[in-house]
Amino acid sequence: MNSIYARRRRRNVIIRVLCYAAAAFGLTWLGLILFTLFWNGLAGLNLSVFTQMTPPPGSKTGGLANAIAGSAIMTFLGVAIGAPIGMLAGTFLAEYGRHERLTTVIRFINDILLSAPSIIIGLFVYVAVVLPMGGFSGLAGALALAVIVIPVVVRTTEDMLLLVPNPLREAASALGMPRSLVIKRVAYRAARAGLITGVLLATARVAGETAPLLFTALNNQFWNIDMTTTVANLPVTINNFVQSPYEYWRQLAWTGALIITLAVLTLNVVARILGRERNTQ
Amino acid sequence: MTTMTIAADAFQPPAASAPVKIEVRNLDFFYGAFRALKNINLSLEQNRVTAFIGPSGCGKSTLLRILNRMYDLYPGQRAEGEVLLDGANILDPGVDVNLLRARVGMVFQKPTPFPMTIYDNIAFGIKLYEKLSKSEIDGRVEAALKGAALWNEVKDKLNASGLSLSGGQQQRLCIARTVAIRPDVILFDEPCSALDPISTAKVEELIDELKAQYTIAIVTHNMQQAARVSDNTAFMYLGDLVEFGETSQMFTTPTQKATQDYITGRFG
Amino acid sequence: MTEHIVKAYDAELDLIGAKIAEMGGIAEKMLSDAMDALASLDVALAQKVLGSDPRLDGLQREIEDQAVRTIARRQPMAVDLRELVASIHIAGDLERVGDLAKNIAKRAIKVADDARVPRAIVGLKHMAEVAALQLKNVLDAYAERDAERAKQVWSRDAELDALEDAVFRDLLTFMMEDPRNISFCAHLLFCGKNLERVGDHATNIAENVHFMVSGAPLPVNRPKG
Repeated sequence: MNSIYARRRRRNVIIRVLCYAAAAFGLTWLGLILFTLFWNGLAGLNLSVFTQMTPPPGSKTGGLANAIAGSAIMTFLGVAIGAPIGMLAGTFLAEYGRHERLTTVIRFINDILLSAPSIIIGLFVYVAVVLPMGGFSGLAGALALAVIVIPVVVRTTEDMLLLVPNPLREAASALGMPRSLVIKRVAYRAARAGLITGVLLATARVAGETAPLLFTALNNQFWNIDMTTTVANLPVTINNFVQSPYEYWRQLAWTGALIITLAVLTLNVVARILGRERNTQ
Repeated sequence: MTTMTIAADAFQPPAASAPVKIEVRNLDFFYGAFRALKNINLSLEQNRVTAFIGPSGCGKSTLLRILNRMYDLYPGQRAEGEVLLDGANILDPGVDVNLLRARVGMVFQKPTPFPMTIYDNIAFGIKLYEKLSKSEIDGRVEAALKGAALWNEVKDKLNASGLSLSGGQQQRLCIARTVAIRPDVILFDEPCSALDPISTAKVEELIDELKAQYTIAIVTHNMQQAARVSDNTAFMYLGDLVEFGETSQMFTTPTQKATQDYITGRFG
Repeated sequence: MTEHIVKAYDAELDLIGAKIAEMGGIAEKMLSDAMDALASLDVALAQKVLGSDPRLDGLQREIEDQAVRTIARRQPMAVDLRELVASIHIAGDLERVGDLAKNIAKRAIKVADDARVPRAIVGLKHMAEVAALQLKNVLDAYAERDAERAKQVWSRDAELDALEDAVFRDLLTFMMEDPRNISFCAHLLFCGKNLERVGDHATNIAENVHFMVSGAPLPVNRPKG
């Protein structure tokens, strides 16, 4: 064995050890977080969490029912508003505007939006919606979430459509199919699993957002599904409860955190499974 | 030594000339500022197979993609001159490209079944321009699959995904899909380059059968294939049409040195 | 002609060309030896001619095999295809020329004991010279890929036909003069016919060379004397 090869092998071993170490380091923290979450959250997990309202200060009973419902509704609304807009915009980028300069500009701006701190989006909606409407509302919260959903869905939609092989579009066009049908019946169909995955990932992303809701939906102690006023939601509730002096509130905060984590985890797993189905097709 | 039995009409020369289906006149094509085709003049005869051969980048695929205006899908590409389909210039701005493409079908290099069932792959195209009852569509689907010599292989699994077929079957599905909408002309863009020899032979046999009903143009890198399937052959080089004539003559006694060098494997 | 991208292809075609040239040389030698044997009634020389034939047959087979193999492996086109098909035909013609020379040699052996009218051979010798010249010219045309020269050979065949007519009349005269000459002269008649056939094969080769080089076939009807 010559010396160059020996050195290369040595270097390979060193790099490999470093890679494993870095991966182990990252996984350790993730493991610790999940462990803490389960350790503290499971203790308070029972049926009343899902059936009772958030308790007043000092109370020893109560749950998160209103917060869970509020979060679910706002997340759903946010995705319902943001996903179609994002899909249409992504479709424009990938299909109609693929060769236009405008597309590059839009893509660049979208990437900035994608990485913008969510609190800024909250502030924006606060100024643009909450102030003119004269108060915090669930609708404003849903809009803030929608603004976060849009760039995620734009990005995934465009990426997924770009993965659809061009000859497939040409083949559809060659049958005399108009552009809109080519996109609707062929491109969307070919990218279907990826598009759904993108929406699910966006849902997971906004489900746990706190900052934009602080300025928009605020919070509510009581059961309320009227979206024109303040609406209870899990992230802000957790944020409030975890800083409180009351033991029971802090316990509920941990449990709420566990519920969000499990929901997001489920969405991610479903998204991965759908993504895998696409690849094996 | 045994003698081969050869069908009596196997070597019958084609009739002196057939009616012209597509006539290309003074055609130039540009990718942006690059002139990819230079003053092309030729005609595709009805019910004949015309092959386009030449080294990569010679413009043969470009020419094919003008015939159904596929280039319209991309910006910065334009054609100048005339391409007459039954006497009407298809390069006219007023021409509806979707209707044109329904008349001039195309089969691509890689099989491109749509992500739907075998049945829908074919029915889809039919439903684009015709309003038919379910039983009429069923009949058309069956006829198209039979026409593409695929019926016996798929008749029991019409609801399976088109993607579940083998490469050769997928390509024949694409041919069936094209035939189903009853075009006048079928363009083949290297239809066998991704297929094994048996599948290739099946597609070639199909082309031979299809020419009774359609006018066919085929781009191929495989000269033997051009020699086997075509009636007329065009040799292109660097955007020029170097030689165009009867296939039997092109492959035995080409008149241009460049053609001879290319088809005999002497290209430097 | 420029070379093929695949060099082995050139080597195969060159080998076939070399074998055709070797066949041509053998056929020419057999023809001239057979005529010498007939003229000088040299049985040993005639035997030598008979001995050369197997080599000629073997070469023909090798050329056919090689050409078929090359067609199968290389799918030749245009000039290459014409060259291979022509080489199969030319090898066949040269093999037949060898057979005709062999037949003349056999007849030389038969008539050696009973040679009667030496002057009857004069006309034949002249025919043999013309046939040999045709053969030589067409082989040169093949070697040099010269379509024009091949065409000249093709149009000069009428000369040999005319000579055969003359020889036929002469031999007929000798037979009528003395019936004892009949057996001898009958053999010579066949030799004349053989020489005329050699000329026909030279013409065939000329047609093949012309098509091989130019791609254009010569007319079906040759000019007649």
